[in-house]
Amino acid sequence: MDQAALVQHIVIPAIQILVVVLILPLAISYLQLVERKVLGFMQVRLAPRRVGWHGLLQPIADAVKLLIKEDIIPEKAERFLFTLAPIATVIPALAALAVIPFAGAPFQVFGYSVNPWITDINVGLLYLLAISSLGIYGIILGGWASNSKYSLLGALRSSAQMISYEIPLGFAIIGVMMLSGTASMVEIVKAQKEAGMWFVVPQIAGFFCYFIAAVAETNRIPFDLPEAEAELVAGFHTEYSGMKFAFFFLAEYTNMIVVSSIATILFFGGWLRPFPGVASLDWLENGWLVLGPLALGGFLGWLVDQRSGGGLRFMFAGGVLGLLLGCGAAITDVGGLAGMSLPAVSGAFWFFFKVSIFLFMYIWFRGTYPRYRYDQLMALGWKWLIPLSVVNVIGTGLVMLLRE
Amino acid sequence: MTRNVSDKRTSDWRDLLKTFLLLELWVGLWVTLKNQFRPHITVEYPKESVELSPRFRGVPRLRFHPESGEELCIACHLCETVCPDDCIHIVSEKKPDGKGKRLVSFEINYERCCFCGLCVDPCPTKPLTAIYMSHDYEMADYRRDPFIAPLKVLLGGVEPKDYKE
Repeated sequence: MDQAALVQHIVIPAIQILVVVLILPLAISYLQLVERKVLGFMQVRLAPRRVGWHGLLQPIADAVKLLIKEDIIPEKAERFLFTLAPIATVIPALAALAVIPFAGAPFQVFGYSVNPWITDINVGLLYLLAISSLGIYGIILGGWASNSKYSLLGALRSSAQMISYEIPLGFAIIGVMMLSGTASMVEIVKAQKEAGMWFVVPQIAGFFCYFIAAVAETNRIPFDLPEAEAELVAGFHTEYSGMKFAFFFLAEYTNMIVVSSIATILFFGGWLRPFPGVASLDWLENGWLVLGPLALGGFLGWLVDQRSGGGLRFMFAGGVLGLLLGCGAAITDVGGLAGMSLPAVSGAFWFFFKVSIFLFMYIWFRGTYPRYRYDQLMALGWKWLIPLSVVNVIGTGLVMLLRE
Repeated sequence: MTRNVSDKRTSDWRDLLKTFLLLELWVGLWVTLKNQFRPHITVEYPKESVELSPRFRGVPRLRFHPESGEELCIACHLCETVCPDDCIHIVSEKKPDGKGKRLVSFEINYERCCFCGLCVDPCPTKPLTAIYMSHDYEMADYRRDPFIAPLKVLLGGVEPKDYKE
């Protein structure tokens, strides 16, 4: 193997994995801060504000606390499995990120062409389904090894819930696979570009099923029965503390990000701009230069003080400021950014923009809905989502057959 | 908000539509989205605190005469008598000139005080009552002895502003 091939096939993927694994905890800790902020604002109270400017250093403080906290293993717990469980949960969650394409086009680093995805395998979707099912083992093992009735109940609920909701999840995805004729994540997005529309348009029922099942798969509110704090103390991670708890936490949020990424890629065109079929909207391709600061400014404006009742005003002001900055950068052409067509940056912008909307929806649901009762959860999964997703698959097939 | 509740529980097509469009779920989402932009009603407590009502009943304290600066209390023992928790302890002596009494010590045991304000009602002094409900309310402590407040502590309370009996 010559040097170029060595770099292309071993060094670059290794660096990519390192970058993803290092950035992810940081992103998740700030996702947690945003979650606390959104929940706080929805409940008309101040969210964390003590550590750093408007609480911006709160995630660092939380991380340090978790790192130096005493790691307690209960006396009657099964020590080996108790330690194994958080690892068994976090590894599949991280492994799922391997096939997620973050942008469309490769970019050049030191003369090497780097793809914005770690790998693109032709069974990407099947790989994701397989890997995400493995995460349940960690939860069941952790719940059982804790030797506590609350943990065990949480783990049992979790296994039943995950098994029930994996079926509609899988069926919902099949519709997209039929339309695109491939299971590779990259090819699915390219198929949407060819079709000239996001697959959410023909697959709205599929998306609906997928999203509900995905919320249930990630054990998030309103389907957070495995950790139902009002009933089960903290569910499967009742006995966990310190770094082991941090691992469960990391896995839950990684799963949220993965599931949102899949929803983006399958139904919302991944890195594609809105309306990929409309040629007159081509300027959106470079719109990140203006829309990026707009979104960031609006977000920061929303984050800062709302006590004066100026939440929307601040948000608007931040957005306008960002818009002006972006337009200024575009007109004055700082660093030649506007003239350059950067498909990788543009793709990454649209991808992360869509993913963050999904992540916001997770938090929004958490702030809005009460938890499902257990029998209601099962009824929803088996009586509604599974039939609906099966009908969706059959309907998609019929339409495809008729159009041939 | 008024709502028409019909007695017959028949479901027509509107109910059906409501169920299948998940109407109630969207209403819930709209409520939380709207609430994000309301001004906050909580404050960062130790750094800032809410404004107290002028008639807020905090810890009972003693005060001086607002003009002459003399002790107002005439040691009549009325507050001690009326106190339902028996938390006021007054020691008094005859004035040297033989007319009336004056305080030797005045203690309120805040471990027992229930902040009822009954001690203020019978207080006969003019122009203000000698004992009053102050605006002090931060009394947490690790030890018990600060809760038995001597005269010196009692005279240093935070008086309510712009409220006159």
